[in-house]
Amino acid sequence: MNTHPLDRGKLLAAFTTCLIAASAFASAPVFNETLVPSQISIGESAQLRIKSSGADRQPPKLPVVPGLEFRVIEQLEGVELIHGATLATITTVIRVTPQIAGTFVIPEVSPGAQPLMLRVNPANFGGSSILRHGIAGETTTGDIRMMEDDSAFLRILADRRDVYVGETVPIAIELGARAGAVSSLNGLPTLTGNDFTLNDMSHQPDRKETVINDEPFLVLTWHTVIAPVKPGQFPLSVEVPLTIRISTRPKREALLEDQLGDPFMQRRFGTSVRKDIKAVSPPFVLTVEALPVEGRPREFSGAVGAFQISSDISSATAAAGDPLTLRMHVTGSGNFDRVDSAMLMHVERWKTYPPTSSFKAADALGFKGEKIFEQPVIASTAGAQVLPALTFAYFDPSTRHYETARSPPLSVMVSAPAADVVPTASAAPSGAAPSGAPLLREAWSRGLRPDRTTPRVLADSLTPLYFRPPVVAIEAVLVLALAGFWLWQHAVLAGRKGLPREKVLPDNIRRALNEMDEAARTGDGARFFSLARHALQETLAARWQTSAALITSGEVDVRLGRDGEALQIRRLFARADEVAYAGQAIRTEELTHWSELVHRQALGAPS
Amino acid sequence: MNPRFVLLVICLLVWACAGRARADAQIPPKVWSSAALYNLGNAYARAGKPGLAVLNYERARLLAPNDSDVEANLLVVRRALELPTEPEGRLRAAVAGVSPTTAAWIGVGGWALIATALLAGRACARRPWLRRTAVIAGAALIGFTVANGVALWPRLHEAIVIAGATPVRVSPAPLGDALFTLKEAELVTTAGEHDGFVLVRSTAGRTGWVWHADLVSVVPQR
Repeated sequence: MNTHPLDRGKLLAAFTTCLIAASAFASAPVFNETLVPSQISIGESAQLRIKSSGADRQPPKLPVVPGLEFRVIEQLEGVELIHGATLATITTVIRVTPQIAGTFVIPEVSPGAQPLMLRVNPANFGGSSILRHGIAGETTTGDIRMMEDDSAFLRILADRRDVYVGETVPIAIELGARAGAVSSLNGLPTLTGNDFTLNDMSHQPDRKETVINDEPFLVLTWHTVIAPVKPGQFPLSVEVPLTIRISTRPKREALLEDQLGDPFMQRRFGTSVRKDIKAVSPPFVLTVEALPVEGRPREFSGAVGAFQISSDISSATAAAGDPLTLRMHVTGSGNFDRVDSAMLMHVERWKTYPPTSSFKAADALGFKGEKIFEQPVIASTAGAQVLPALTFAYFDPSTRHYETARSPPLSVMVSAPAADVVPTASAAPSGAAPSGAPLLREAWSRGLRPDRTTPRVLADSLTPLYFRPPVVAIEAVLVLALAGFWLWQHAVLAGRKGLPREKVLPDNIRRALNEMDEAARTGDGARFFSLARHALQETLAARWQTSAALITSGEVDVRLGRDGEALQIRRLFARADEVAYAGQAIRTEELTHWSELVHRQALGAPS
Repeated sequence: MNPRFVLLVICLLVWACAGRARADAQIPPKVWSSAALYNLGNAYARAGKPGLAVLNYERARLLAPNDSDVEANLLVVRRALELPTEPEGRLRAAVAGVSPTTAAWIGVGGWALIATALLAGRACARRPWLRRTAVIAGAALIGFTVANGVALWPRLHEAIVIAGATPVRVSPAPLGDALFTLKEAELVTTAGEHDGFVLVRSTAGRTGWVWHADLVSVVPQR
């Protein structure tokens, strides 16, 4: 081809210009960042592609975002032709794996670039591209029992199978999901059976990728502790609700899907349906033994594990009566919920109070940690006092014996309180007055009356005599005796022994009876019979609703007949007339006889 | 009243009394002297310990209510500390002016008079006024003893603060909040005890818990 020399020059100039421009363009590296996809779920990964081009191209520095893990998967070198210029590029493929759900901002790698946003939803196995990029160096085999469709496995891992009642046993619940097979996790693992208690599993599981039988798996591991509640052999199993993806294509064709690393491509070419299932682990048999009775310390509270104790006191010096805090630290591993202690209960020269406790876990399970008991104590006596050693009893499953941990005794220097009690004269004070008191002391000394030399009143107790129990008892006996005597005398003299006393008599009859009794006591026979007749008349008049003046012997005959009590009444009337007119001497027995008759009639008692 | 029941009650009381006497016999005997307590109070006052001084004066006053020296020195200490010194009423002073031991014997005399009058009732049936007079006189003597006991009853529950600026707490716990403080030598009334703390009522009517070591009862507790 013929070319004009001028054109040739133009072409050369243009090429040179392009070269200069290309070299200038290439001198500053250019980055291009893409994140696909921008929204994923826990269990999925996104791809961050950073393409750098230019003369000073170099692999980018990995960004640091809490909650996201960045891992370089591969670096691809290539050449691009831009505006006729060849441009060498390096494409770095980074896998971004979220540890927690949330919205993350990935800072720009190069100046001027826009930060990238990544939204992470809670557990969802929908995107399985992560498994596509899994590190294939780890292959797990052994006791894994896959589910029927080989989509997942679930198993329980524990260090020991022989445990004791109440002992807390750390276990791991492992859920392996085959890439692309498990769509989502619909809940946390739950324990089947009531023979164990299971701790809270609300924390995030550990994640790792592994290869099982040449298939990539995402393995989620929950760590928790269980505690058997009764002895025996118990199969332990867990179940997890899952949504799995069942392929409707032949397996040979499905292999193509696995080769498609991009989740978008997988979804486009894959033909599958989703199904909710409940994955169940194979039974993990635990043999639970009861704690031995032999050798069990009295203070054993049910703690099983490995523990150590130490103690301290809030202050090594104090005044008597000042409160101090005694602390006991129980550290180790085991069932801290059963770690309990009464600490010191009855210590001479100390006043102790019930302790309180708090627990600081050293791991997420609460299996390891420190339990602190705090007990208020008060020294009651001045001097060098010693708080005795604290003990804590527990059962050590490794030695299969009860152990008792001890802390060393604590010394406390206790000073005297502000004032002391001196109950006897022999302990009169001779020391100096407390500071600040001299002026008052002088004033008192001037105004005080002098001491005595001879004792005046002596007593064996300051409690008044009549407040002392023996004297109170004697006083009570005297009161009862006098009351009893008065009642007895009253009953005998009134001649009413055995008669009902509850009856309330009309005033006129009661007055007549009292006067009659008084006449009987004084031996005045004439007055007695007069009053006895009057009392009877009043009584019968009240009974028959008539006037007392109308009650005569004839009236009694008419109303009561001629025998029995009526006869006695008529005789009393006749005797009263005799005594009134004849003035005969009356014997006491006769007075008693007629008095009883009148009282019987007044009270209405049967004869 | 059934005599058998009365007899049973009397037997029970005697048995309880004997049991208490046995328990008392196990306590080492201690002799209290009003003069020794007075001297002890003086010694504490001179040593600048007003709480213990007032305590011993109060104890001396319990044994010898009419001792003017005790009253005077107690007044000196209380005035020096600006503690309230309320004068007693005439009736109370008259009733409480007799020592409890004397009052107890007066009561015994009253009982004896009444018992004699009742037992001799039949003998002097013709002079009932004599019997009635004896019963009334006996009842009066017993009434005087009862009045003396009523007047002294609060003293059994009184205590003296022996520590300066004693905190009175809202609850019986060593770390409880302090409601107010009591002066040394202040008189308080105790109303209960719990876990080493004593529920007290101050002369101003305020109530709270005080650590037992900061108080001493006027009448020592068993």
